Amino acid sequence: MDDAGLFSGGPNPILLVVVPLGFAFALPLIGFVSKKILKYIPVGVFMFNLVVALRLLPLVLKQPILVEIGGFSPPFCINLVAGPVGILFSALIALAGLLVAVYTLVYIKEGPEEKYHILYLLLLTAATGVVLTGDIFNLFVFFEILCISSYTLVAYVGNRAGIESSVKYLIQGAVGSSLLLIGIGLLYGLFGTLNMADLARQIVSVGSSSAFIPMAFMITGLGIEAAIFPLNSWLPDAHSSAPSSVSAILSGIAIEVGLYAVVRILFTLFGLSSFFLFFVFLGVLTLLIGEMCAFSQNNIKRMLAYSSIGQIGLILFAFAIATAYAVTGGLFQMISHTLGKGLLFLAAGYMIVRSGSMEISSLKGMGKRMPLTALAFTIGAFSLVGLPPFIGFPSKFLIIRSALAEEALIFNILIGLILLGTVIEGAYFFRVVQVIYFQKENEHQKRHEAPVAALIPMFLFMIAIVAIGIYPKLVTGILDSAASELLDRVDYIRSVIQ
Amino acid sequence: MVFSQVIHFLQNHIYYIGAFGLIFIGLLIILVKHNLIKVIIGLSILETGVNLFLIAVGYISNGTAPIFSNPSVETQRMVDPVPQALVLTAIVIGVAVLALALSLAIRLYQHYGILDLRQIREQKW
Repeated sequence: MDDAGLFSGGPNPILLVVVPLGFAFALPLIGFVSKKILKYIPVGVFMFNLVVALRLLPLVLKQPILVEIGGFSPPFCINLVAGPVGILFSALIALAGLLVAVYTLVYIKEGPEEKYHILYLLLLTAATGVVLTGDIFNLFVFFEILCISSYTLVAYVGNRAGIESSVKYLIQGAVGSSLLLIGIGLLYGLFGTLNMADLARQIVSVGSSSAFIPMAFMITGLGIEAAIFPLNSWLPDAHSSAPSSVSAILSGIAIEVGLYAVVRILFTLFGLSSFFLFFVFLGVLTLLIGEMCAFSQNNIKRMLAYSSIGQIGLILFAFAIATAYAVTGGLFQMISHTLGKGLLFLAAGYMIVRSGSMEISSLKGMGKRMPLTALAFTIGAFSLVGLPPFIGFPSKFLIIRSALAEEALIFNILIGLILLGTVIEGAYFFRVVQVIYFQKENEHQKRHEAPVAALIPMFLFMIAIVAIGIYPKLVTGILDSAASELLDRVDYIRSVIQ
Repeated sequence: MVFSQVIHFLQNHIYYIGAFGLIFIGLLIILVKHNLIKVIIGLSILETGVNLFLIAVGYISNGTAPIFSNPSVETQRMVDPVPQALVLTAIVIGVAVLALALSLAIRLYQHYGILDLRQIREQKW
């Protein structure tokens, strides 16, 4: 690894990928020494990652940091591009990974725990790798690590539902990865390079329409992982049958990383602005389908999974408007969704453990039985619906405002549909909150709160949601420069290929 | 005349035709077969097709290995090594996916006693 004076001060961004990867494979060895400390390792690793990412954040706002692997200079090497987008996502992944790892300390009690922690580390390593890499084939490799570890984690419990949804997820995901690989092969055949900046430069010079077929292959392949309608039929099964801690990561991180890859390929690689209207429609369609299906669910985890589809639709809509405001809004909504959905899945996880059922009707009286968890669920739900003073309000507000800035009549209709989707979202979330707080349970049960180690991450999620909701300026500066990195292809190309 | 043109076309594009043939066969098996094992075989064929396609991208007929230290080899005849490196990686990934798929198939069979995907539908929209 050669950093040849490209950046000064601050830790090397490659640590974000290398440290979790190394610990993932060192876990079995550490297991020989002591089985008890295994579950604390993800906590330590992601704390480290969070510190590294937060230290890098002010540096990359000035100038993106390039890491060249193998001592060659781009476009001949595999390189990491730690721009504002990459480091923002790395920090988000590390934060969610840390909090969920703390929750896991008490939540995962049975099954092959050692393998759980290995796969958990691999999943988040791969997610970090996808957002940091500047090489399209490297992106594919990290993506495959992400997919394989999530197939396995979905089947972790090993019950009928888990295995069945894992098989479905695997078949669809493997077809998607093959399509992505065909797209990469076509791109390599056309341009003879795999570096994203170099590819983008060559596509700029020949015109993006010539690369339409590889783009279609790649977007379709990645769309499966990103759960864009109509490629999302695996998602509700997989997210609802996985253990709740895994669902929080799959919903909060995995599909957003998929969407990041779609956006990176659309914006930086191809820049096909004439196609964005198609994605605007696709986003609204995904939103409406997801929210309507969520509304008709009786199973709380399936409801949350469908709600993730809806949120992905909203984020896709925001990105496809492709103005600086809208992309900022999309990134903001990604943060809001990671925090909100993570909190919801964590809270729902322990409510399901206590009630012994995933049916919404079995959550009656949870407001009395586990008041803190119920409060966490309520805050997550209110935030996702977009009520002030939670983080969901400024993010949704930004998206709607940027859509209103588009003069075309069609956008007014689409905004109407999105607000309709939000109303449906409100309806099903408030219904659950109503069941939790106001429906009398049949027999009175004693108060039995979730354990402290599960409450702490929920509490930290709540603090983040409320803090950013009240004071959005905490993140908007970073989001603005991240949005300009995504929108400004020429600048990206120049920053990688000097 | 037309015949020789067709032959010429086939000669130049036979690897691409073969690769996409395999890809479509694999996709077709995945879409129409109901037995999970057959679907996994389809996945395998699909991956083979993709790998063959990647190799074909970098292939030159009568090419040689790209060893620059060997002066007797002219650079025009060197095969592009990058797609081959990609294919090696893709094969390894494919093996991992297939192994996982087969082990999941075993677990699925333990739970349901059947591999027919039409009858395994407890999870639905």
